[in-house]
Amino acid sequence: MSGEKIEVAANPVVPSAPKRRVDPLAIVVRFQSLIGLVLVAIGGVIFSPRRHGEILFLNPDNIANIVRAVSETGIIAIGMTFVIITAGIDLSVGAVLGLSSVVTASMMISGGFGLIPTILAVLVMGIVFGVVQGTISTRFRLEPFIVTLAGLQAARGLALIVSGNQYINISYGDGPGLAPPVFAVLGERLFDNTVPVATIVFIIFAAIATIVLNTTRFGRYVYAVGGNERAARISGVPVSMVKISVYAITGFASALAGIVHAGQFNFGSANDGMGYELTAIAAVVIGGTSLFGGAGSMVGTVAGTIMLGALANILQLNNITPATQLLATAAIIVLAAVLQSLVRRREGLGR
Amino acid sequence: MSAPLLSVTGAVKHFGGVQALRGVDFDLKAGEIHALLGENGAGKSTLMNLLSGVHAPDEGEIRIDGNKVTFSNPREAQAAGIATIFQELDLVPSLDVAANLFLGRELMRPGGLLDVPAMRREARKRLEAIELAIDPARLVADLSIGQRQVVAIVKALSYASRVLIMDEPTAALTVGEVERLFDIMRKLAATGVGIVYISHRLEEVPEIADRVTVMRDGRVAGVTEPHAPQAELVRLLVGRPLDELYPQRSKSAGKTLLSLKHASFKLASQSAGWQAPDDISLEVRQGEIVGLAGIMGAGRTELLSALYGTGLAGRWQGEVAVDGRPVKLHSIHAARKAGIAFVTDDRRGSGLMLRMAVGLNLVMSVIRRISPAGLMSPRRQAEAVKQSFGQFDIRPKNPDISVGALSGGNQQKVVLAKEILGNPRLLLLDEPTRGVDVGAKGEIYARLRALAAQGLGILVASSEMPELIGLCDRIVVLRQGRNVAEFLGGVDEHTVLAAANGREA
Repeated sequence: MSGEKIEVAANPVVPSAPKRRVDPLAIVVRFQSLIGLVLVAIGGVIFSPRRHGEILFLNPDNIANIVRAVSETGIIAIGMTFVIITAGIDLSVGAVLGLSSVVTASMMISGGFGLIPTILAVLVMGIVFGVVQGTISTRFRLEPFIVTLAGLQAARGLALIVSGNQYINISYGDGPGLAPPVFAVLGERLFDNTVPVATIVFIIFAAIATIVLNTTRFGRYVYAVGGNERAARISGVPVSMVKISVYAITGFASALAGIVHAGQFNFGSANDGMGYELTAIAAVVIGGTSLFGGAGSMVGTVAGTIMLGALANILQLNNITPATQLLATAAIIVLAAVLQSLVRRREGLGR
Repeated sequence: MSAPLLSVTGAVKHFGGVQALRGVDFDLKAGEIHALLGENGAGKSTLMNLLSGVHAPDEGEIRIDGNKVTFSNPREAQAAGIATIFQELDLVPSLDVAANLFLGRELMRPGGLLDVPAMRREARKRLEAIELAIDPARLVADLSIGQRQVVAIVKALSYASRVLIMDEPTAALTVGEVERLFDIMRKLAATGVGIVYISHRLEEVPEIADRVTVMRDGRVAGVTEPHAPQAELVRLLVGRPLDELYPQRSKSAGKTLLSLKHASFKLASQSAGWQAPDDISLEVRQGEIVGLAGIMGAGRTELLSALYGTGLAGRWQGEVAVDGRPVKLHSIHAARKAGIAFVTDDRRGSGLMLRMAVGLNLVMSVIRRISPAGLMSPRRQAEAVKQSFGQFDIRPKNPDISVGALSGGNQQKVVLAKEILGNPRLLLLDEPTRGVDVGAKGEIYARLRALAAQGLGILVASSEMPELIGLCDRIVVLRQGRNVAEFLGGVDEHTVLAAANGREA
């Protein structure tokens, strides 16, 4: 019962609130994924196997591998951050990635479309997919969990139909049945063969998303809808439009990740991207975004994504089994959630 | 003379640096209904929490039948016979009535299976004992608030039967439900149960209470008869005569801002418990503060939310005009376009983003203005925030802390300041000082009067009669969704109450 808190707060003579600003725990949570990333990196250096004195974890190839491996789930997690800040969830992202990789491959290989039309079509498809999910959810007041769970099934089904349950291999060259060679750049590295192109896509998308979330009217609306939907509505925020838009963003992000996926691995596969939705949600939560909505940061998501990748990498370098990797990830998710819950309770806003 | 059923002597309680109770004496006799009145922050809730074992007093003692008791948790208070019904009823809406009554104390069959028929039978017996015909198999979610209240009482009495503490039980009830609840309370008292009835609704006191204790600033301000004059109760509650709390009225009103003539709000689908505006005629002019009076369920909140487009789906019939031009007020967008702003009675639920910073909350209704070309302008935002802090004395003076950390009064100032930033021409206020301490009330009244003097029209609904009488230029009384009387501010409270209840003064 909150009676006692109201009593305390009702005394206007002693405004004790400013003290809360320097709550060290709140600062830790705010930067928890960055701190976690630093800790994992330090752990990586310490526990890394060495060869001829070289720390394998810090080998440029290894680092490039880490950031390349996380770029697809990272792109998805960035979109997911918008959705989760509105207190929503999108489970369809991994399936839309699979669908997008299939459509990308089949448009170029069997459809004979050029690079630009293919990419544009797939991105539009992702947006439309999200808009449909968002519209169903807001129009019929359904939980996004259910709608996007259905969306997951639908996207997998569509992907199986388009692909005929076959891998669609992408071969490069000029002429019918071949993809433009420039598409293969997604699997390569730039700048003296150091920075993977997939990672560059991830970074650019993250930068744009950060700007949108932090400096635009739309970004403010996203926070408002998650912070208190009714208050946002009464303040004149177009709540339904905002909700539909965030699912359009995850749809776009999933399609983008699907294109990157096709380019990196040179095929489209209906069953790829399975479980990516959960990895993305984990990265967002570790990044400090609250599943209750209204709070979160894009920088946190990026750091959370890379941290998960770095953790998996250091465990792999030490030949630790995938089973143990899963357990480690589980522990980190719980730790991040517990920290957030502690801060919420201290602020007297526990839910 | 025998010891009272329950007594508290010299209770002191601190929370951090704040003294919530400063030496409180209180007693309750068997079979008595004892009203505990006080403004928010007066210490009623703290006292209740001591009695129900939520908190332990720093000093002072609690006695039952003259024997000293200490409670270290609510369960011990229950074991001693004290049942507490909090405002947020601890019922599970998705379970049926019987399941709720036996929650945590389920009747079992041998073999570890729930004995549902036995629980339903027993539940029916207990409900019938207070002459309430609710099917125990019904879901709590399907019950009215009044019925839920009764289920909560029955549940509480099933594990503690000597003292019943009720925290604002009538806050969400309709008039008929209040009557039924009072009947049940009288029946319980007749069986020897002592009832502590916490409320801030003065008008209910003479009807139900045997004795009244008024609290203020953590002390007992006075113990009186329930039939003491209202002015006396108000003086005890507020600690100063009424007239000092309210600002001077303005002398002149400008042209008509809002005009309703035989206006009714037709709901798209019928909804029980939502009293739609029905054949209402009223005006609000520039510079004028108009009050909406009426008993619970008279349709005050419904009128305001229908005007602002936040109520149930439906449409206005009859004449609704703003600035002399007919308008269709069917959505929030339409209302805002017409220059109407709205402050809800539920600032935590629908007024504020509690976890977000004060500054972010303040600019929420003017985001469009401070984001030219879609990009947030930190400079414009800072200007808007500064303007709000200048107009309303929000404390602490820090726009970066989360608004949930502010006191009720300061939260209310933030909600008001937020809407004022949008430069509305007509402000709709629903219970503008609910849960606000007296000091902040005075500031809010002064601010509203100053805004009215600048030409803002204000339509304010309140269940606090002294507030309407002290603040408003005119008071429109609603009953069953229509306007039944109109008085000038400063009118006698009984006159307004009589009109609200449909009686001659």
